Amino acid sequence: MTTNAENSLEQDLLFAIIKERYGHVLTGEQLDSVRTAIAGQREVLRPIREYKVANDEEPFSQFKPFRGD
Amino acid sequence: MADSFTFKPIRELAGLISGREVSPVELTQAFLGRLEEFGPQYNALVTLTESRALATARQAESALAAGRKGGLLQGVPWGAKDLLATGGGIPTTWGATPFKDQQFDYDATVVARLEGEGAPLAGKLAMIELAGGMGYIHPDASLTGPPRNPWDTGRWTGGSSSGSGAAVAAGLVPFAIGSETWGSILIPANNCGLAGLRPTYGRVSRHGAMALCWTLDKLGPLCLTADDCGIVLEAIAGPDPQDSSTHPEPFIYNSNIYSANFNSGRRYRVGVPRGVLDEAAGAVKGNFEAAIEVLKDVADVEEMEFADLPYVEITSVILMVESASAFEDFLAEGGPRELAAPGWHGRSPYARPAVLATDYIKALRLRGVMAKEVDEAMARYDAIAAPTAMNTATPIDQEFRSRSMTSAGAGDLMGSIGNGCGLPSISVPSGFDADGLPTGIQFMARAYDENICLAIAREYQARTEWHTRHPGEAPG
Repeated sequence: MTTNAENSLEQDLLFAIIKERYGHVLTGEQLDSVRTAIAGQREVLRPIREYKVANDEEPFSQFKPFRGD
Repeated sequence: MADSFTFKPIRELAGLISGREVSPVELTQAFLGRLEEFGPQYNALVTLTESRALATARQAESALAAGRKGGLLQGVPWGAKDLLATGGGIPTTWGATPFKDQQFDYDATVVARLEGEGAPLAGKLAMIELAGGMGYIHPDASLTGPPRNPWDTGRWTGGSSSGSGAAVAAGLVPFAIGSETWGSILIPANNCGLAGLRPTYGRVSRHGAMALCWTLDKLGPLCLTADDCGIVLEAIAGPDPQDSSTHPEPFIYNSNIYSANFNSGRRYRVGVPRGVLDEAAGAVKGNFEAAIEVLKDVADVEEMEFADLPYVEITSVILMVESASAFEDFLAEGGPRELAAPGWHGRSPYARPAVLATDYIKALRLRGVMAKEVDEAMARYDAIAAPTAMNTATPIDQEFRSRSMTSAGAGDLMGSIGNGCGLPSISVPSGFDADGLPTGIQFMARAYDENICLAIAREYQARTEWHTRHPGEAPG
């Protein structure tokens, strides 16, 4: 279980990454909106992170080797 | 003025053509006229494809004259959501200003297949910009303006296949193709009082369709009836070497599945998820309960429950990450600034690249858990029934969902399961509310069981008349 402080730090770090990558095309107001959205995404991710899956539970997207001939 | 062809199901139009009561060219001209006259008034039309439609119609006419009778769609015009590529200099705008002049030099597989059946493409239809992929919350998020609902032009059609919904509901085309990543076929069907079929993921080739989320995008029909949906699906479905996700088997529409499989006295088994009406508006709830009573004529209906999993969150994470990747360059170039609704609110698309890779992979792992749990729960039933939406069409100038990501799709159990697991579902009208706006009921089946949900929807429509009601013609 992560603490509120850890959550806040993670959101600050993620926001910094977004600001670094996209800050040149975003206004201050738009960046505020991004910060709000990152906080919202944190809530979406919470149950994903908390759910335990078995080691052999693979991603449900099958990789197939390709051969064109 | 409505003509004698408007609001006729495909089989009736096909009968008129085969009986020489109308020619493919005459029928196409009639619908081109309606689409040109009324389409802009509903903000439903992007491009009228008149010369292309008439060329296909003339070919169909020549074929018929030469005794080469085709399928039911021969000579029946249709409309395409404007995310389907069309060659020949016809723009494919993706509903968005930055792409308003975009052209492709090839046709989407769906377009080619329908034209191969002799069905003339009458127009490219309006849509929410980038299929809603930038996180819109207002109906005006479209190159062509807010899509207006033919039942009440002060309400919206639902999105993102908004023009497809409006055009069929207003009788401007007999059927249309839409796409669904999460709700974009079923919601316009609900709001516009139509039959809308979301096929199994991979049933219909996505080649030539704008990619929003590669593992969630599906193409399907919006029609007047469930039977029409089956006819159109058979024409557009099937394997395509240009889309490696397509199912290897063709889809054969079985319009007699009831008599073929169920005449031994076997009744349909329909499950209704526990609590699915908790957030439903009064009319939606009442109409759904009445629909279930009708269904009991042919089905055993019981409450069921899906396993406790974070369905909405799993599908949301996949959608966020895939859409951020699909539009990575667009985001980096500041493309959203040119959109009608650029997402400057709590759902900004620029937040999506902040989802960590491990979280995305975890969502994909949980998707496997979800797919198996859901299939096991659904194996006891032919279909799961639920209201298609919790409300009727909302006012066109009103936010239709929360700004907060935390409530994005909250309560949309059927949407998150159906799209996350790639399952087929059909929505058909279940009645109207006090304002005269349609409500819908959906039947979701196991993967590749489109014939089952189509059969149940047909049984329902054989016992009700909601699908025979149509809005007044002139926009009010």
